[in-house]
Amino acid sequence: MTATIETPPVATQAAKQCRRPSETRVPGQQRAVVVLLAPFAALCLGVFVVPAAYAIYLSVFSQLHSGLGFGNGRTVFVGLHNFVVVLTDPSFLRSIGVTLAYIVLFIPILVVGSLAFALLLDSGLARARQFAQTALFLPHAVPGIIAAIIWLYLYTPGISPVLALLYDLNIQVDLLGQTLLIPSMVNIALWGGLGYNTVIFYTALQAVPREVMEAAAVDGAGAVRTALRVKVPMVRASVVTVGMFTLVGTLQLFTEPMLLAQSTPLIGNRFTPNMYIFDAAFNRSNYGLASAASVLLLVLCCLLSYAVARYSSRGARA
Amino acid sequence: MSHRFRALGCAVAAATVLAACAGPAPDDPGGGPTVITFWSSLRGTQAVVDAFNATHTDIQVDLDMTPSGAAGTNAKLTNATRAGNAPDVATADYVSLPAFAIDGAFLDLTDRVDDGFRAKLLPQAWDQVTFDGHVYAVPIDIEPQVLFYRRDLFEQHGIAVPRTWAEFEQAARDLKAAAPDTRLSTFFTSSAAHLAGLSMQVGGQWFSTAGGHWSLDFTDPGTMRVAEYWQRLVDEDLVNVAPINSQQWQAGINNGTIATYVNGAWAAAALMRSNPGGAGKWAVAPLPQWDPARPAVGVTGGSVFGITVDSEHPDEAMEFLRWMVTDPEAFEARLSSGTSSMFPAAPDLIGVADEGFDRSYFGGQDIYALFRREAATVPEGWVWGPRMTATNKIIEEGLARVTYGDTVAEALERGQEESLPDMRALGLAVDER
Repeated sequence: MTATIETPPVATQAAKQCRRPSETRVPGQQRAVVVLLAPFAALCLGVFVVPAAYAIYLSVFSQLHSGLGFGNGRTVFVGLHNFVVVLTDPSFLRSIGVTLAYIVLFIPILVVGSLAFALLLDSGLARARQFAQTALFLPHAVPGIIAAIIWLYLYTPGISPVLALLYDLNIQVDLLGQTLLIPSMVNIALWGGLGYNTVIFYTALQAVPREVMEAAAVDGAGAVRTALRVKVPMVRASVVTVGMFTLVGTLQLFTEPMLLAQSTPLIGNRFTPNMYIFDAAFNRSNYGLASAASVLLLVLCCLLSYAVARYSSRGARA
Repeated sequence: MSHRFRALGCAVAAATVLAACAGPAPDDPGGGPTVITFWSSLRGTQAVVDAFNATHTDIQVDLDMTPSGAAGTNAKLTNATRAGNAPDVATADYVSLPAFAIDGAFLDLTDRVDDGFRAKLLPQAWDQVTFDGHVYAVPIDIEPQVLFYRRDLFEQHGIAVPRTWAEFEQAARDLKAAAPDTRLSTFFTSSAAHLAGLSMQVGGQWFSTAGGHWSLDFTDPGTMRVAEYWQRLVDEDLVNVAPINSQQWQAGINNGTIATYVNGAWAAAALMRSNPGGAGKWAVAPLPQWDPARPAVGVTGGSVFGITVDSEHPDEAMEFLRWMVTDPEAFEARLSSGTSSMFPAAPDLIGVADEGFDRSYFGGQDIYALFRREAATVPEGWVWGPRMTATNKIIEEGLARVTYGDTVAEALERGQEESLPDMRALGLAVDER
């Protein structure tokens, strides 16, 4: 995973050129491959393939009732009925809408922001790079749930010192109100994500050959021009990969809204698709519906990842 | 704390077993009492269980206190039912009972409720645990909505206690004119249950099971009357808009900028706990009426006990339930553990509840007499929906937007619209009125 992120296209080409001829196999290599891949295969099977298969199985069954439903439920194969219900449920569609609004705000800020930080770190202007890198990375080390609790404290009127200070300055902001709710959530995620992705971009920038930069300088390109026209295109692959991982992560948004829901009734039980799934399973005890929604989310994640990957490889070839 | 109590309970149980062994040969050759397990989140339940265990030798109850609320006991019970290891007896609220009955978590108790037992509890309480002619739980309390008000503020500003909603609106205007920072009441954005209670009063009927199918109508004339009334008060800034129990609301209650609020009878004790400084200032009045000639009042809150399908001792469990909701000793024990103003569903116990209640907070007012009169006017026939907790949550999401320009009616419409997919997914016969 990290290899993909940190390998710029140039390096990939270099690797292709010096690739070892395939006929020179080292003895015992196959066994080594099996041994090295086994833990991954076991984990992937245990925590992804089996649960996904089980979810697909559950999604075509339903606890069905007749009439008023009191005491006459039975488990029945219902085919795609649960999928139809999920896809026509206005609250599920709204949760997708909320997530899209969040993505539209979050991903550009995250990618552009961390790329800007990385370029600054790489530019030679930044002093104490090691320190800056660590400082930027540090918020990522705080678990998401802890960060959300801290932000909840800072957002809640009446207990937040920040809001109290603003209030003293005669500025009244409702960070958990209708207009600022999604920006407030984006803010929480940014603090954890910016530094982490900056480090990824910075590492990619380190691999940009210095000759290219020298050539740019000889051609009279300034620092900004070099950054935008030379460096950014060369780390394009990592930008796309970061975008893809963030997209998949964002589709599964759960922790931050779940915690913020304590302080604002604007966040309902079905605010994001993942919360919808949780609500279907544990508040409405409809496992079939929850499974169908999970399968739909999985399909959506796969499709988007595939689309982004295709886009990225086409870009790399060009 | 609860562990210590449980240990005490076990010790009592053990002592009883020993006593049974040491004494004359017990009737049951198997020896030892039947142990039934009990999940509850209700205040004072440990004391009730201890009292039961101390006075019963053949049945002993093992209590597990569970977290309250939909995310607590409800989810825990639902999952335990699926796993087949639910306790014998569990506490639920009226609102979520239909869901448990539909999911088959609770036993049908119809045949276990004889006429003698039935006569001991208010018909309105039985009404709310009976679906399709079958009884699925035993109610312990019924909580008519009343108006909690600041007697001192009313006197200070020369405002009479409103008896009708029209008087209530006028009082809201008068109070705002007299004290611009104070509002008469609060419209709760986080409690669909309050709105349901207010709709119940005016003959609203969100769900109906007539004709063997579920009908939904969250915008019937009664409910709309309530929705439009509160919408007007909100629009004209005659009431606060806040979630109940929010810091904002609690601050208003404590500093006297909120002069009244509507809640079930149980909230009297909650008010005493959360606002000790209000002693002597607060009083209770009947909920204002739409038509004083035909008094009616809705409910907010109330708990029931169900016997789960996993129970191996339903007869013993039923005996425990019957004792818990009708025996004076059970109510005394519940009240002894601290302040509670639960209004018993068994009229015979009102005296016990009244005696156990410290009247000084409400200036010596006989609030139980008031609760008794109000409880008698709770209309029969209200039905909670099959996934009411989820339905309420959707309505509350809409009510939270009332501050941002949405209307109460829109919140109700959305509640209805988004409850339907759930019901269809359950295969229920649904007819949208």
